[in-house]
Formats: sequence, structure tokens, C-alpha cells
Amino acid sequence: MIALERASLRYGPILGLSPTSFELPDGGGITGLLGPNGAGKSSLLQLLSGLLPPSGGEVRVFGQAPFRNATVLSRLGLVPEGDRLPTGLRADRWLRMMGELSGLHGDGLKTAVTRSLETVGMADRAHLTFARMSKGMRQRIRLAQALLHEPQLLILDEPFNGLDPEARLTLMALLRDFAANGTRILVSSHILGEIAQLTDRILLLFRGRLLAEGTVTEIRQLLDRHPVELRLTGEAQVLARWAVEQPELAALRMEDGGVVLSVRSPRDFLPRLQKAVVEGRLPIHSLDPLDLNLDAVFQYLTKDHA
Amino acid sequence: MSTAAPSPLATLRATARGYAPRILQGRGWVLAALVILPVGISILIYMVAQIKGAEGRPHPGEVIKVFHEVLVKMMLPIMALVAAPAGIREDLEQRTLPLLLVRPAPAWALPLGKGLPWFAWGAVWLVIGTLGLQIIGGDPALLPGRMIALVSAWWGELALMTLIGLLFKRGTIWGALYFFIWEPLVRIFPPFLQRLTFTHHIESLAGSRAAEIQANQMLAQEQVTTHPVLALLALLAFGALCWALAGWKLQRTPVGLAGSEAEG
Repeated sequence: MIALERASLRYGPILGLSPTSFELPDGGGITGLLGPNGAGKSSLLQLLSGLLPPSGGEVRVFGQAPFRNATVLSRLGLVPEGDRLPTGLRADRWLRMMGELSGLHGDGLKTAVTRSLETVGMADRAHLTFARMSKGMRQRIRLAQALLHEPQLLILDEPFNGLDPEARLTLMALLRDFAANGTRILVSSHILGEIAQLTDRILLLFRGRLLAEGTVTEIRQLLDRHPVELRLTGEAQVLARWAVEQPELAALRMEDGGVVLSVRSPRDFLPRLQKAVVEGRLPIHSLDPLDLNLDAVFQYLTKDHA
Repeated sequence: MSTAAPSPLATLRATARGYAPRILQGRGWVLAALVILPVGISILIYMVAQIKGAEGRPHPGEVIKVFHEVLVKMMLPIMALVAAPAGIREDLEQRTLPLLLVRPAPAWALPLGKGLPWFAWGAVWLVIGTLGLQIIGGDPALLPGRMIALVSAWWGELALMTLIGLLFKRGTIWGALYFFIWEPLVRIFPPFLQRLTFTHHIESLAGSRAAEIQANQMLAQEQVTTHPVLALLALLAFGALCWALAGWKLQRTPVGLAGSEAEG
């Protein structure tokens, strides 16, 4: 369905996406595009949705280059990032226009608009103008416009931004339904947990480079190989004595009033730490993960790929 | 479901109908006011004069002044400067253009599709304004020519501004420079350059105002004439060319989610 062959994208002197190659097979399923801000996720999605042509290499969607290609675009739906919608228009009329621009007409158009609005739970509020809608409502309308023509490939750029927890869960359930019914979904996010709840396959991007590709478990294992820094405060010598006995310890640094541990496989290490604290063998005052955020994890992976 | 791409005509119809409600909002009424205010004030002055008994009869000279000096030279360009940014340029600036560009519809038809409601709305008010000038003594024989001149020039000026809006980031400034610097400045250049102004073609269609103006108000040192039919064709063709170029520009320009162009 999707094939990139050393596809790259430049914005003038800035490299948005380094030469990248990967393939996604036909059929339904959800693929997560994960990376911190500025990783190149939107660049990749713009290449795939035909908004921008590659600066180098080749992008194929349904076997063809997508840029201004009506054949590809009629099978693809895009929900761009942000909540921008045209000012001064009513949602139902705007959706009708978007349906017509997707090649729908007559009863088919009417049915598609009604069905999309019902799917996103906006059937009773579609007469409102965008200015009178909340951010969550606008996000639903943006999803509805992408669903009008029942695309085989649905691309969503940071769709959970600004949504409340309930709306997130609703959207996740919707996306899972579409995937189960044969739609291939590509969804980007910079939050690992969000993607992990949703998808069976992840593409990991950082600074315009595709770092890794695989299932959530594979990516987690890849991340686990890298040491994570934790600061423990308490009696430094006692803490150090306990830490050096742990097989996951990669490095140890003594500090005033504590230690900084560098540990591999934190998912194995942390339960043991917790147990030791509960049993009173480890008198700690505080525990601070220094680099458990996604950026730090990407930094490790970058070093690996350097 | 895989749908067939809509035809260019279906794209024009869908876009024009979809964005038509925009003309009934603030900017649309500003557009109407640009025509109605000067004409309305002229009518008001005429009526007050009539009530007071002085100069109560129709005044063709005043009509010519309002038509040529106010409507043609000032209001028509300002209308284009006001309306064009609400066309396809608006989607570019509001970053909503990608939502249109990921549709299978031909991208080149979008500028005209978004411009058509504004053209129709402006044309209606220009016709009403020209009819209003009859109240203060417009020559009935010149009425059709004046209407056609304003509407065809509106077509051309709106198209030009739409094109400029896609070519330049500060399209309004470039448009204002063209309308308010080039058009008056052209009279110091060789006479044939008059044909590169809207004013010349409007005057060719709407009738000369030579009898009503001073020598220093002449457009050029030497009077250049163009047959009205040719002037009409020139305005319509120029407008069509600008719409086509705007479509071509949009069709070939990569427009990303940030509204900026990638190197591509």
C-alpha cells in the first residue's frame, strides 16, 4: 500500500526528512508514527498524503506517486494537525462541499455526510459554524471530512492533541473499528503511551530519520537496551551498596545526599527497587528519573545509529 | 469506497456553493458599501439640493465624476484588494488549503471556484451602483456600457489580485502599487502603455469623459482609442488568463501543512 524508497524532503536549506525507506502492506491495521516534535512526522505524512512531492527518492501510495494524483487521493483521507477550519462556514455545508470535492454526489453524498457525522457523534451539532464549536467538536468534524469517501488509507497527524481523556478513548475506539474493517491507519504522535494503546506497529522517527520500525514490543525491547538514569536521595553509601548488587546497573555516581544510577531494563529494575523500599532495606527519600522522557530515549537511539 | 475524481465543472460548482455563505458576512458587506456609499452620498447630496431648490435638475457632470474618479479609480481597485484575500489566499493563510488539496478534485479549479461567489456579489453591487447613478442624471445611452465596463473590469481586477495573492506573500501591497501607482503613472510613459491599464479599457467601454475633464487630468499626452468590443474582450481575456495562471500556480506548487512550500 505504501512504499518509500530513499524518500527525502527539504524545506529550503532545512532537511525535514532524511532519505527514508519502508513499506506498509495492504489491508487494515494501525501503524503509529512516533517521534518528538520536529522529528519529521508531519513531513512524512505530507509526502504520503500527496501534499508535498519528495525532494529526493520515491514515494508510492497504492503503487503511484501521490502528489496531485486524483487516483491516489480518492482512496486516501487526511486529518492534519491543529484545529484549523475555514472561518464563517457551517460544518454540514462544508462537509457537503468536501464530499463533492471527493467525487460524491446525489444520494451517495447525502448518505456519506450523514454517516460521517454519526460516526464522529456530531449529527445533532453539524448546523453550527466552526467558530461556535469547541476544539473537540472541530476535531471530530476534521475526522468526519476524512471519512466521507470511506478511504482505504487514513492518515492522522497528532489527532489526540487537545482532546479530553473521554474524547481520546472514543477516537481510539473508532480508529480500532476502522482498522478492523480493513482501513489502513497511519497515526502520528509524540507520546509513546498514546501510540502503544492504539497500534500494533510503530515507526520511530527522530530528527528527520527513521530510527526503528517494528511492533510495540520490539520497540520497547530496543528502548530497554539503553540505560536510564535515576537519582536516589538518601544515605548514599547504603544506596550504593544495594545498587552494585543489581544486575541491571550500568554505572553509578555518588552525590551529596544520594546516588545517580544508570540502569538497563528499568522495567525489571524498578519493581525490585520498589520491593526493597517496601521491605525497609533501602532508605530512600526520593526517586527522580532523570531521562525517562521520550526525547532522552531518542537521544540514546541516535547515538546507536551514529 | 473508491470514488471517481470530480470534473472541473463539478469542482467549480462545489467550491462556489460551499464558500458562498462567506459573501454575506462582514467582508461581503464592506464590498457592497464600497459601491453603495459613494453612490448613496451622491444621491443624498442631489436630493438635499433638490429639496432646497438649488440645482434641482440632474447633473451629468457629477455622474461622470462619481463613475470615473470614485468608482473606477478608487472603489473598484479597493474592492479587488478587499475581496481577493478572502479567496484562495485565505485558505493558504489560515492553513486550511491542505484540506482541499488532499481531495481528488483538480486543484487548478479551486482559485476560480472560490473567487466566483465574490465576483458575483461584487458584480451585483456594481450594477446596482451604476443604476443608482441614473437617479442623479446618468445618460441612459451610456448605462449598458458603464455596467459592462465595471463588471468586466471587476472580473479582471479580482482575477489579477487572486493571482498576485498566490505569487507574492504581500499580494495586497503589490496590488495596491499596481492600481494606485502604475495606473496614474502610465500617462508619463509612451501612449500605447495605456492599453496595459484597466482605466483605458473601462473608458473605452463606458464612453469618453474628455469633455468633462481638464487637460492635466488626461490619462496620456496622446489619446489612444480601443474599440469597445475589443476592450471588453481584453478585460474578459485578461481575467480568464489570470484565473488560469492562478490555477496553474496552485496546481504545480507544493503547499504543506504549514502553508509554506517545500523545495520539492
